[in-house]
Amino acid sequence: MRRIIVIVIAVVVGAALLVPGARAAEKIRVVTTIPDLKSLAEAVGGEFVDVDSLTRGTQNFHEAEVRPSMMLKLRRADILIENGLDLDAWVDVAVGGANNAKIIRGAPGRIDVSRGIPLLEVPTGRVDRSMGDVHPLGNPHFSLDPGLAPLITQTILDGLARLAPEHRAAFEANRQAFLTRLDGEMARWTQTLSPFKGTKIVVFHPDFIYFLTRFGLVQAATLEDKPGIPPSPQHVVRLIRQMKDDKIKVILVEPWNDVKLARRVAEDAGAKALVVASAVGAVKGADNYIAAIDFNVRTLAEALR
Amino acid sequence: MRPSSRVGLVAGLALALSCAAPAAAQDAEVLRRELEQMRKQMQETQAQYERSMEALSKRLRKLEAQPPPVATPPAPPPPTVVQAPTPAEPPPSTPSLMDLLRRREPFALYGTRGPGQFLFDMGVAGDFVADFTQRSVERTASGTFPGRENRFFPREIELNLFGQVDPYARAEVRIEAGEETSKNELTVRLAEANLTLLTLPWGTQAKLGQMRARFGLLNPVHDHDLPQTDRPDVLRAFFGEDGLVEKGGELTWVPPLPFYLEGLVGVFDGDNDVAFGYGRIRNPLVTARLRTFFELGDTGGLQLGTSLASGLTTDANRNTIVGVDAKYKYRPDGWLHPLLTVAGEALWSRRTVSITSDDVATVQSRNRFGWYTYVELQPFRRWAGGVRYDWTEYQLDPGHQWAVEPYLAFMPSDFLRFRIAYKHTDRSRPVVTDAGPSPLRFDEVFLQGTFILGAHPAHPF
Repeated sequence: MRRIIVIVIAVVVGAALLVPGARAAEKIRVVTTIPDLKSLAEAVGGEFVDVDSLTRGTQNFHEAEVRPSMMLKLRRADILIENGLDLDAWVDVAVGGANNAKIIRGAPGRIDVSRGIPLLEVPTGRVDRSMGDVHPLGNPHFSLDPGLAPLITQTILDGLARLAPEHRAAFEANRQAFLTRLDGEMARWTQTLSPFKGTKIVVFHPDFIYFLTRFGLVQAATLEDKPGIPPSPQHVVRLIRQMKDDKIKVILVEPWNDVKLARRVAEDAGAKALVVASAVGAVKGADNYIAAIDFNVRTLAEALR
Repeated sequence: MRPSSRVGLVAGLALALSCAAPAAAQDAEVLRRELEQMRKQMQETQAQYERSMEALSKRLRKLEAQPPPVATPPAPPPPTVVQAPTPAEPPPSTPSLMDLLRRREPFALYGTRGPGQFLFDMGVAGDFVADFTQRSVERTASGTFPGRENRFFPREIELNLFGQVDPYARAEVRIEAGEETSKNELTVRLAEANLTLLTLPWGTQAKLGQMRARFGLLNPVHDHDLPQTDRPDVLRAFFGEDGLVEKGGELTWVPPLPFYLEGLVGVFDGDNDVAFGYGRIRNPLVTARLRTFFELGDTGGLQLGTSLASGLTTDANRNTIVGVDAKYKYRPDGWLHPLLTVAGEALWSRRTVSITSDDVATVQSRNRFGWYTYVELQPFRRWAGGVRYDWTEYQLDPGHQWAVEPYLAFMPSDFLRFRIAYKHTDRSRPVVTDAGPSPLRFDEVFLQGTFILGAHPAHPF
C-alpha cells in the first residue's frame, strides 16, 4: 500500500515539475470570463497569447456554474480578464479553487475591463432585490457596444503589456489593426441602422441597452418583469398592449432565454422575436466579435425594414 | 585750519580707509560666493528643466506617433450615465524598497472607500424547517431533528461576512443561530472564522482558523445549501448533526497537470466528539482529500473524490474514516440549471474502543460503513425534485438503518426556496434514549423555507 502511495505521489510531483518546464517557452496564457473578451483579447494579443474563455456564448453569464474545469484553466493562466460589475462575480470562487496567485484580485495578472466604461442603467437611490437581480454598479452588458471596444481593448492592452512589456509595440499594432477594421464596419453598421433611429424595441433581458443606445434605438420595455425574474401573466398582458399601442415590431431574445415565450408574446403583439447574439458564439456565424455585432445589426435591420 | 589739524585729519582718514578696505574686500568676496552659488543653482534648475522638457517631448512624440483611435459615432444621451468607480492600479509585481518599508495601515483604507461602501461582503441566510412525525418519535426525541419533532423551528440563521483582508489573503466569518435540541432554546455560535492565504508559492493555499473540514461532498456545505432538507444519515451517524467543524488549518495544492487534481492536507484539534474528541493539536486530527473532475462533453461533468480523517477519540483511541464520493451533472446546452444531478458518498470507519468487562479492559476494533446517493431532476428553472437513499451503520452500537426521502423544491427566485420532503426511516434495532426505545420504523414530513439576504458566494460544482 505504502509503495502504491509513494508511486502515485512521485508520478504527480514528476508530472507537475515537467509541465511548467515544457510550457516555459509558450505564449502568455490568458483566460477570460466571457467569450466577447476572448475575441477582443485575441485581437490585441495576436500571436503572443493563447486565450481561453470560461463560458460559452450560449450560456447566461450571470448564472455560470463554477466547475473544477474552470479552476484547471485558471491554474495555468498568466492573466485573467473579467467583465466586472458583478456579471461574472462567480469567477472569484473559481479563482479561489485554482491556487494561482498571479490572478487573484489586485494582482497584476487580473484585468477588469469595466474600468472607465461610461455605464448605463446605474440605479439611483435605494437599491434592493425587490427590483429583481439588479446590478448596483450599472448594467454590465457593455461589451455588446462596438463603440466601447476601443476602451475595452485599451484596458486589455495595458494589462498584457504590464506582463509582457517587450511585446507592447506588437500589441499596439494589433489593436490598431483591429480598430481600423472595426471603424470600417462601424460606419457600415451605423448607415444600416440609421433609418431606424428612435425605433422602440422590446428585449427579454436588458442585455442590449448599450448596443441599442449606440445606434440610436430605444429599449421600450423588457419581457422580464424585473431583471432575472420571469414575467408574470399580468406583465405579459401589459407588455402586449404596450407593443400594440407603440407599434413595436421586435423582441430581442438571447438563445439561452425562454425563446418560446418570446415568440408567443411577439405573435400576440404582431411582432417578431429575434434570437440574436447576446455574446460571441451565441448563434451560428457569430464566431468573433465583429461577426457577432454584424449578425445583430443585419438581423435587426432586416426585421425593422 | 592749522597744519597740525590737517595732518591729524589726513591721518584719521588714512586710518579709517585702511580699516574700511579689508571690510569692503570681505563683502565683495561674500557677494561673489553668493553669486557663484546662485549661478550653480540656476544651472542645476536649467538642467533639470531641460531634462523634464526632454522627457515630455519624448512622451508627446510617442503619443503623436500613435494612430488616432477609431472614430465612433457619439452615443445618444443615455438615461443615466455614471462613471464606474475606478479601482486602483494593481500593485507592481515586484514591490520597491519603499513599498516594503512603508508602514501597513489597514484602517487607512477607510479613507479611500466611497460613501455607503463596505470593504467586505455581507449576507444573511435564513433556514426554517417544520418536522411532522409520529408521537412516539417525538416522545423519544429520535427523529431526524432530535428534540424538535413536530415543531416549526429556525434551523440556521447565518450571518456571513467575507472579503479580502489585503492583496494576499481573504477571510470569512460565519455566525449562526438556531434551535438545536430543546424547545425555545436558541443557540448562537461561531460557525466558521478563517483566513485563506492566497499568494503562497507552487500552487498552494492555506486556510487557517475554524472551518467546515473539506471531507467528502456535503460536509463542507452549510445546512441551508444542502440538496435535501436534512444532512444524510451516514454523515450524521459518523460526524454528528453539525458535521466535521474543526479548528486548525488546511493546505491545498493544485498541481499544474493537464487535468484537474486538488490535493488537501488538514491538521486540526479534533474536537468533534462523535468521531474524535481528543481535542489536542499535539495528537491532531489529520485530514486529507484528493479531488478530480472530468468534463463529459459540453453538457456533462463528473467529479470524483476520496477523503480521509484520522484522529484520537476522547479515550485516546484511534478512529480512521475513509470516504469516496462522486457527483455527476447533466446540463443541456444553454440551460440555466442542470437537468439531472446524481451524487453519492460512501464512508468506512475503523475505530478502536476500550471495553471493560469484569474489571478486564480489552481493546476492540469496530468497522462501520454507510452510504447515500441521490438523484435530482430539474426540468424547469423554478422546480426541482428528487429522491435520496441512505444506509448507515451506527458508530458505536451494532445495527443499521436505512431511509428513503423524496422531495420537491420550488424556487421563486435565486434567493428564495421552499421545499417539501417525506422521509421514511427503518432501523434494525431501536435507538435507546432517556424516554425509552425509539420506534423501529417511522415517517417524517419536512417543510422548509430558505431565504438569502445580501451577498452569497457562488456555489462550486
